[in-house]
Amino acid sequence: MSFDLQKILESKRALRRELAARPLAEKLRLLDVLRERALSIRPAKPAPDAGVLREEAPSYSKSDKPA
Amino acid sequence: MNIREVIATINRMQSDGVIERYAIGGAVGATFYLEPSATLDVDIFVTFKSETGSALVSPQPIFDYLKARGGAMHGEYIIIAGWPVQFLPPTSPLAEEALREAVTKDVEGTLARAFTAEHLAAIALQTGRPKDKARLLQFIEAGALDAARFQAIVARHGLAGAWQRFEKQFLADAP
Repeated sequence: MSFDLQKILESKRALRRELAARPLAEKLRLLDVLRERALSIRPAKPAPDAGVLREEAPSYSKSDKPA
Repeated sequence: MNIREVIATINRMQSDGVIERYAIGGAVGATFYLEPSATLDVDIFVTFKSETGSALVSPQPIFDYLKARGGAMHGEYIIIAGWPVQFLPPTSPLAEEALREAVTKDVEGTLARAFTAEHLAAIALQTGRPKDKARLLQFIEAGALDAARFQAIVARHGLAGAWQRFEKQFLADAP
């Protein structure tokens, strides 16, 4: 372990590559785990007030032409 | 909570004739090519079967089928195996093409239809939210895209300008 930023970034990239290369079934099991974790920490999050910027709802119905 | 069970259920729905064709998109679709990342729902693109004698297409047969098998509605979602699943019709030529050209993947004996990496990346470019741009960067950084195939999709669907802006914003200074 070191505090060399380049090494840290490279190790992150390597971990992501390793995760991406895992068998599909294992990656899908990880999705199950990640979702359970995300849900478990959700109630701890304070309700956003009206002034908080929010991401727009997903839209798959845009035209193919860029805005 | 088991996403493979979601896929198996949708396969059964297809073999029972409720839907004609399906493909997994969104973050779950991206997991077929990238590292898994946390997501709360599953996006399934489907071609709906027309009700007899009706020109309208409706997702109602899907909901009826799933509710009869224990699925519960939750807003726009139906809960399958603990996962909120959203069924989406392809509402753009790009999504239609993505659904048509989706690929079949074997998940330990369960077959799953997913969008190709290039179509997922193009849809992310088109949708254009911050998390979509992040996903597109993931595809590029992972080397998961066939560049020629991706560029052809971008050109075919009028996304060249969006791609140029994306390149300028995120890739111009890349090492």
